[in-house]
Amino acid sequence: MRSGSPHADDADWVRRRLGGRSGRAFWRGLEELSEAPEFKRLLAAEFPSLAQSPADFARRDILKCLGASLALAGLAGCSEDLSHSVPYVEAPETIIPGRPKYYATAALMGGYAQPVLGETHVGRPTKLEGNPDHPACLGATDAFTQAALLGLYDPDRSRSPRYMGRPTAWSGLDAMLVSQATRLDATAGQGFCLLTGATSSPTMGRQLNLLMRRWPQARWYIHEPVSEESRIEAARLVFGRRLEQRLHLDRAEVVVCLDDDVMGPGPKQTYHARGWTKRRQSAQRGEGSCAIWMAEPTPSLTGVMAGRRIIARPDRISTLAAALAARLGMSSEPAPPLGEEERRWIESAAAALDAHRGQCLVAVGSQHAPAVQALGLFINAKLGNIGATLVLAEPSLLQPPDEAATFQDLVQRMKAGEVSSLTILDCNPAYTAPADLDFTGAAERVEMRFHSGLYFDETAALCQWHAPLQHDLETWSDARAVNGLATILQPLIGFSFGGRSRHVMLQNCLGDVFAEARAVVVETWREFWNDAFDEHWNSALVAGFVPDSAPAEIAVQPIVDTAPAVARAARGEGLTVVVKPDPTIWDGRFANLAWLQELPKPLTKVTWDNVILVSPALAEELHIETGNEVRLEVPGRSVAGPAWVMPGQEPRTVTVFLGYGRGPIGRVMEGAGYDAYRIRTVADPWQSGGAGLTRTSKVWQLASTQLHFALEGRDMVRFVPAGDARVDGRHSKKRKVGETRKETIYPVQHYESPSWGLSIDTDLCIGCNACVVACVAENNIPMVGKEQVAMGREMFWLRVDRYYQGPPENPKTVFQPVPCMHCEKAPCEMGCPVNATTHSPDGLNQQVYNRCIGTRTCSSYCPYKVRRFNWFDLTGSDPPEIQALRNPDVTVRDRGVMEKCTYCVQRIRSAEIQAKIDGRPIRDGEIQTACQQACPTSAIVFGDVMDPETVVSRRKTSSRDYSLLEEVNTWPRTTYLARIEDEPPDGGSEKG
Amino acid sequence: MPQIFTASADTKLRVVVLLLGVGTVGAFLLGGGYVDSAYVTRVGWPRHQPVPFSHKHHVGDDGIDCRYCHDKVEVSSEAGLPPTQTCMTCHSHLYTGAPVLAPVRQSFASGEPIRWNRSAKVPDYVFFNHAIHINRGVPCVTCHGRVDQMALTFQAQPFQMQWCLDCHRNPAPHLRPPEMVTRMDWSDWDPEAHKDFGRLAVMAFGIDPKRLDACTVCHR
Repeated sequence: MRSGSPHADDADWVRRRLGGRSGRAFWRGLEELSEAPEFKRLLAAEFPSLAQSPADFARRDILKCLGASLALAGLAGCSEDLSHSVPYVEAPETIIPGRPKYYATAALMGGYAQPVLGETHVGRPTKLEGNPDHPACLGATDAFTQAALLGLYDPDRSRSPRYMGRPTAWSGLDAMLVSQATRLDATAGQGFCLLTGATSSPTMGRQLNLLMRRWPQARWYIHEPVSEESRIEAARLVFGRRLEQRLHLDRAEVVVCLDDDVMGPGPKQTYHARGWTKRRQSAQRGEGSCAIWMAEPTPSLTGVMAGRRIIARPDRISTLAAALAARLGMSSEPAPPLGEEERRWIESAAAALDAHRGQCLVAVGSQHAPAVQALGLFINAKLGNIGATLVLAEPSLLQPPDEAATFQDLVQRMKAGEVSSLTILDCNPAYTAPADLDFTGAAERVEMRFHSGLYFDETAALCQWHAPLQHDLETWSDARAVNGLATILQPLIGFSFGGRSRHVMLQNCLGDVFAEARAVVVETWREFWNDAFDEHWNSALVAGFVPDSAPAEIAVQPIVDTAPAVARAARGEGLTVVVKPDPTIWDGRFANLAWLQELPKPLTKVTWDNVILVSPALAEELHIETGNEVRLEVPGRSVAGPAWVMPGQEPRTVTVFLGYGRGPIGRVMEGAGYDAYRIRTVADPWQSGGAGLTRTSKVWQLASTQLHFALEGRDMVRFVPAGDARVDGRHSKKRKVGETRKETIYPVQHYESPSWGLSIDTDLCIGCNACVVACVAENNIPMVGKEQVAMGREMFWLRVDRYYQGPPENPKTVFQPVPCMHCEKAPCEMGCPVNATTHSPDGLNQQVYNRCIGTRTCSSYCPYKVRRFNWFDLTGSDPPEIQALRNPDVTVRDRGVMEKCTYCVQRIRSAEIQAKIDGRPIRDGEIQTACQQACPTSAIVFGDVMDPETVVSRRKTSSRDYSLLEEVNTWPRTTYLARIEDEPPDGGSEKG
Repeated sequence: MPQIFTASADTKLRVVVLLLGVGTVGAFLLGGGYVDSAYVTRVGWPRHQPVPFSHKHHVGDDGIDCRYCHDKVEVSSEAGLPPTQTCMTCHSHLYTGAPVLAPVRQSFASGEPIRWNRSAKVPDYVFFNHAIHINRGVPCVTCHGRVDQMALTFQAQPFQMQWCLDCHRNPAPHLRPPEMVTRMDWSDWDPEAHKDFGRLAVMAFGIDPKRLDACTVCHR
């Protein structure tokens, strides 16, 4: 889709464009602000794919595309269907077919455990939920964890060992490992190097100790593209010990972030978001404040929730940190010179921090030099935050025994020919290593290379031997969560997809080819629990964590008296490049998961590609439009990728995202995006200066969902002043934000309890997209691919709209999840000619797939555009692994039927039936929709709106409650709570 | 004046109209009859099974309760079929050499499950839940017929939606004491003597027929 760039010769075009609107003017993208007629036509077309070049469609193709199911409703049930019923031979005692069983385990990311309960149907996991008893997540998950299930079933996973790229038997690999172990015994491990990703596994730690003791000359290195190393180093600079930081955002009334995306994607998102939610909900009730200051070069999720955001170039962050220290009187150095906006920001931030000593937090991004982070830690220490909002403890992640043994050292040794045998376990350095290190070239100097991982990836192609690894969800292992609590990982599925667990692989490397997966982990914990092992083991497996296993908090004092000095980076020529992990693909490990490829990135809403973010000013200067290919040059290397004009981006900064541009390792990842690792160097892995940007002649077709399903209305997201919001509740005299129901000509139905409704608090939604992926997993939503997404045919039942407000240079951003509204006066129900969409007595708008003939009238009548049509048979050719993944309680839709959010009706019915059998009413909170269950900020609440005591009813009586498009008077059951204005008064103390 | 139409034009027209009328009515009758026929609904047609299991023998003659084999019917949406092990609880002692039971013994020995052909089946887009029906006192015989008289198992009811809705909209006459759901012979259930049972059962269970014909009760 083409975009229109701001008119180059009219500086006031934004003001003109926005000036005519009353109230808050929200816009969804820069194209919307342009006057391009093609854009207007696109917005107007109900099905944009047909609005574009109809001449390209042959008549027959149109009929094929629009072809509704030829089988008339009902006849499909008449034909003879020779299906089998296949019972067990010996039925397991505890499995009841038709009822799911939940097992507690964890998915791993960056070495940390994300605690989950795996819902299994007859031995097949079909959904992951957060472990509700685990303190680190309290039942929530993030998008990566929800999508981990697809990783388990990925058909492109490696399934057999390989020698020189060709499949071979395990016996061949075992023989090689045994003979290698014998050789290494003789030389005490001389020349043997083990390279792993970051890990927090106690079992791995025990095995590595054994390995080091047996082979003293061997070395273990860690390579993790997005690592905690600099944070741990920063702690050492300030406190003298290598410690990890745990943030308690629930205790922080003021958070000042210097380019630190604490609530952004990553292994800690769930943990931080949960903590922040507690504080935010208290602030909503008037108990203290919850305010964020952010200084960053590129927009982030934390920046979206920040009340005071300034745009700062990466090299200004150290200056801002020094200025903050000086303003707080903690620095002996003179205050550095600041711009006017920076000065005001520092003033208000310092004042707020000062007023909330012990209840505030200064966070510096880990992509900055340890010295700058150390300054942040020092400020925290002086403010009394250590032990309150910021807690230090022994690192959960395993630390290499030799601090100086970095990945760079390994490559140097490889080049020097000192490494004769390299074993790479679950990492992909051929793809993720810094480009100037030349890992690939160095690897050729190693005589014996062995790789074990989930895929036959770039690194496996370099190695003579490859072995498939078990996925986290099918393996025995252990790991620590972000708060340090250990979880024992247990398999969710009885057979593996051909791999071995990482602990068995490590035992194999030690020459023990008879190692059994569970036994290796049991051995670790037998040492931990001296007595009553079985009892402890079983209760740890049931609970999903080992109680009291987290490394304890350590009370520390800074070892320095004054603030550490930070080098002031000189402003260089050229542009600054900021490297970030991709918000949905991370460092590339999730590149083959279609759910994450198609998931719109939170801020750009781009799918199936990564982009190069440029600011509107830079785009205007270089005549770049969104989609134009640009070549980004840093000294010595360059990469070309599609540009994206990003509102809120620092004018002279360009952001690239990692994780794309890979080869044909998997069918999903092939051909997507560009490889940003090519410009990542050892010296500057996260930001560098002196870059140049030029436009090439190519144009990329980007599939972004930001303009799809646009609501033609105003005030989609509403704001209330902070003072008003505090006086809340049922009896509030404040004028309600929304007037949800006006008179209607249609008959009014009276509902009895239970009758269902949903409330979404836009003040809590951080746009993390966990709800979207949870909905995909729960409801068997098919992925359609880049071309179809570009045409607006993505199938997500729940979308998160992102609205901008204000000037493109630094707009305010708000997120709004939009599921089906389940309108009481639903236009879709009136429009359906075959009555395939009806209203249930308990308040649901029902979609009946077997009656739908695909006229799509309902979708055209829907003012919220929440209905999705199956243009093609997107599921018929699914491989058996993907079929196994599907939720058996939800229909898998065929071509020609309409689908939409159902309020997880399968969960409602299942809970109703169970409550009826038990002879009790349904408890509030017993039914959680998938989106509600996944949400780490409790933004979504579902329940009985006819019962005034339920949480959802209380939210709906709040003065902040409103519904979308009230003017169409559809009486939606999905309502929203307005966001609370966060602007603190300039200067002075911050209240509310 | 020359005649445009022949003498037989009227006749031809009337014949054509009559044929069209008869044809349309006939088409509907044929179509309706077809979809209601046993050919389509499979009522009364036993399907070929790997083992010619006789419910008449096991239930009628031996008196085994339905739930001995279909043991999950009270707790799960699916009644299920028994594992081979259940068959072997008896047939490791009885008829241990019978050729008809060879597939059962083969399954138990090899670990390969028996592939039965489903006889009582609703379409895939119907999510039927056994547990709630059993717990509310809908007898097995209501839907599955006199299984204790079936030498070979067949579907006893057409399972058309109208038939299900008839009960959902008025469940009272079809309810029986839940502890007697597996009873096959209800011929001694005098509707007059028990006319209050259904009404009271509906009240006691809190069954609301108005909530039972929503689409998503069965179609999700």
